[in-house]
Amino acid sequence: MTKQAKIIAAAAAAVFLIAVILSVYILRKTPENRIEIVQDGKLLYTFNLNTAENQSIRIPAADGGYNSVVIEDGTVRVETADCPDQTCVRMGTLKSEHLPLVCLPHKLIVRFAEEGAA
Amino acid sequence: MKFRHFAAALLSAVLLTGCGEPAQDQSDALFAADLFAMDTYMNLKAYGKNAEAAVREAEARITALEHTLSVTDSGSDLYALNHAAGGAVTVSDDTRNILDTAAKIGQESGGALCISLYPVLRAWGFTTGEYHVPADSTLAELLPLCDDSLIVRNGNTVTLPPETEIDLGAVAKGYTGDAVMEIYQQHGVTSGIISLGGNVQALGTKPDGSAWTVGVTDPFAPEQLLGTIAVTEKAVITSGNYERYFTGDDGQRYWHILDPETGKPAGNGLVSVTVIGDCGAECDALSTALFVEGTEEAVAHWRRTGGFEMILVTADGEVLLTDGIASGFQPKRDVQSRVIGHDEAG
Repeated sequence: MTKQAKIIAAAAAAVFLIAVILSVYILRKTPENRIEIVQDGKLLYTFNLNTAENQSIRIPAADGGYNSVVIEDGTVRVETADCPDQTCVRMGTLKSEHLPLVCLPHKLIVRFAEEGAA
Repeated sequence: MKFRHFAAALLSAVLLTGCGEPAQDQSDALFAADLFAMDTYMNLKAYGKNAEAAVREAEARITALEHTLSVTDSGSDLYALNHAAGGAVTVSDDTRNILDTAAKIGQESGGALCISLYPVLRAWGFTTGEYHVPADSTLAELLPLCDDSLIVRNGNTVTLPPETEIDLGAVAKGYTGDAVMEIYQQHGVTSGIISLGGNVQALGTKPDGSAWTVGVTDPFAPEQLLGTIAVTEKAVITSGNYERYFTGDDGQRYWHILDPETGKPAGNGLVSVTVIGDCGAECDALSTALFVEGTEEAVAHWRRTGGFEMILVTADGEVLLTDGIASGFQPKRDVQSRVIGHDEAG
C-alpha cells in the first residue's frame, strides 16, 4: 500500500463517516422539529425548533384578541391567550403531529410541518 | 492498487448515499388545507396530481353540509324540522341519509343513541356554553319529548311532534368524512387522510403503501396521546368525556354525552370510545351509542353485530381493544390493556 493510497482511504473513510452521521441526524431530526404557525389558512411562521432562538410571539386575532406563542429550548406552546375556552393554553407544549395546538375562536394552529406540503 | 480501489469504492458509496429528501414525483405530491367548520378544526390532505382539485371540492362540500346540518342556521334542514310545529318537512338526501344511519344505530344499541335530546342539551347549556345543572323536575318534563321513535320518516319527508327537536351532532362529522372520501375517489385520488376535529378518515394507504398512523387521545390527559393505531382505508372516530364538559358548583364534571334514560351525562363505566370501521357516519353514531351503553353492553354490542373494531377506555383506566385492532395499537404510555375476542370467554 502506498502512502498516497492510505491518505485517500483515510480521507474517504472520514467523509463517509461524516456523511452517515449527518444523514442519520438530518433524517431523524427534520420531520419532528419543523413547526408552522397558521392562522385562518394563512401560514404566518415556520421555525426549526432545533435551531430557533427562545422567543415570544404575540399573534393578533381578527376579533381583536391575541395568542402569545412561546418558543423555548426547542419546544413551542401557547403561553397565554384571551380566548374564552383556553384550550390552546391547556394543551401545553406541542408533543405530536397527531395533536396540533388549536385555538378555535382565533382560528390559530401550531403544528409540526408535513414534509412536501403544498 | 487494492487500496486505491477500496478508496474509490468508499468515495462512490458516499456519493450514492444521498441524505437529502427523495425527489417527490408529481404522482404522490401532497396537497393540504385547513378549515374551520362545524365548530371544529379540520385538516384535509390528499396525494397525487388531482389532490388540489379534490381538496378544493371537499372544502366546498363541507361548507354546504355545515349549512344543511346546522341547528342554528335558519336556512338549514334541521332548523326547518325543529321549527315546523308538527308539520311535514322535505329534507335533503344528506339529512335523510344521516337520519337513516341514526335510526339504524339507535335500534342496534337499544336506544343508546338518541338524536332527539336537543331540549335536554339546551337545559344543560351545552348548546350555548352557558352551563348549569338542570333540576331533576326539568329533566323529567323534557325527557318524554326525547324519543327517536317519534321521528316519522317517509323518504325525504320527515315529521316531528311540535315540541321535539333533533340535532345530528353525533353523526354529522362522520357523514362528512364519508362525503369527502367520495369526492377524493371521484377525482381519482387513492391516498388521502382527513381530520375533522380529531375524527380521522383515511383513503387507501400512504403514498408509499404503508398504513396510516392515527393518534388516539388520552382521555385522562387530552393534551397527549394514549397511543396510535395503524389503519388502511378506515374511519377512526372517538367520543370522550373530555371533549366538552363543565365542572359544576359541586365539583363534579358534567359532559355532553347524555344518557337518554336519565337526561344526565352518561356514566356507565367508560370515559372514551374509539370506533374503527369503513363507514364514518356509522362509526360516529356508534362511538356515542357505545359510550352510553357502557363497558359490558358495548362489548356485547360488538360481539352481536360485529362490522367494526373499537378501543374502550374505562373510568378506572383500563384499555379494552377488540382483537381486530389490538396488534395495530401502539401505546404511548404505560397502559393496562386487555384484548376482547368474539367469544364470551375472550
